[in-house]
Amino acid sequence: MAAATLAAERVRDALSSLNRADLKDPRLVEVLDLSQQLVDAMQAFFGSLDSKVIGEFRYIGTYIARTRQEIAALRPNDIKEERIPSAGAELEAIVRHTEVATHTIMSAAETIMSADPNEPGFADLVNDRVLEIFQACSFQDITGQRVRKVVDTLKHIEERVERFAKVMGVVDAPVEASEDDTRKKKLLLNGPALNGPEVQQDAIDAMFEKSGSAGQDAIDALFD
Amino acid sequence: MAVQMTMPILVVDDYNTMVRIIRNLLKQLGFENVDEASDGQAALGKMRMKPYGLVISDWNMEPMTGYELLQHVRADDKLKPTPFIMITAESKTENVIAAKKAGVNNYIVKPFNAQTLKSKIVSVIGDF
Repeated sequence: MAAATLAAERVRDALSSLNRADLKDPRLVEVLDLSQQLVDAMQAFFGSLDSKVIGEFRYIGTYIARTRQEIAALRPNDIKEERIPSAGAELEAIVRHTEVATHTIMSAAETIMSADPNEPGFADLVNDRVLEIFQACSFQDITGQRVRKVVDTLKHIEERVERFAKVMGVVDAPVEASEDDTRKKKLLLNGPALNGPEVQQDAIDAMFEKSGSAGQDAIDALFD
Repeated sequence: MAVQMTMPILVVDDYNTMVRIIRNLLKQLGFENVDEASDGQAALGKMRMKPYGLVISDWNMEPMTGYELLQHVRADDKLKPTPFIMITAESKTENVIAAKKAGVNNYIVKPFNAQTLKSKIVSVIGDF
């Protein structure tokens, strides 16, 4: 710091000298001398900085550059502009096709149910409607393929995010439950269980038996 | 008391296909006077306009769930006696117990079959 101060004083002296001089005819040598002194002052200033601080700034700069590289490797624009919209479109197509297929199946079944078995042509009618039902069931194949595409997209995103989190050493932050989550919990909106009903119909039936004590025993049995 | 086969039944579900399935099953059982609503709020409105002999409701609907509908029905002196069956994919123990405590008459988990539906209706309104 002492060297920087000394250099700064020399710059000031040189500037004072120039101010006293006839500026209409500044001597090039004096300007060059001032420039040299400015450079010396800057060198002295930076040289006086604690090298540890410079090291810390260099590390932060490297870390930021690496983070940018990792984020770029995520290809977030690709995920946002291509993969997620594509997955959304697949899901919408699934809903549409299952709706159409369900309508076809139900209409065929309703036609069979309302037909008169004593009427001539009943057998042909049933046969034709059943064929329609079989054909409509082919939606399952197509929706299955679409679901696989959506799952692939989700896996892709999961892998990228997992890799990023691992490289960055990220740990999940605690999150407060949203208003929607709180409401769903309060109204017991769990949705269908993945592998079929958690409580079987027989157990539920036992709970609704008329006898009060049998009802409570059945409730207790649910917790065994 | 003999079951009136012409009694109005209200089916509450936000999924049109499920309403159609239940309607067809009820028709097979001999009940043709069937109304429908797509959520609890709409159902409550209909129930306040005319009396129903039976309500068959899903749980997971918006803006009013079937569970909330049940609570409203049982809190209303006029609607309170209405027989109420829940047909739902909500199959956790806590759901069944909550519905029973709220006053549901019976509870059917999806998927279900025609025989189950019939037996639960019989248990609630009597043999037919």
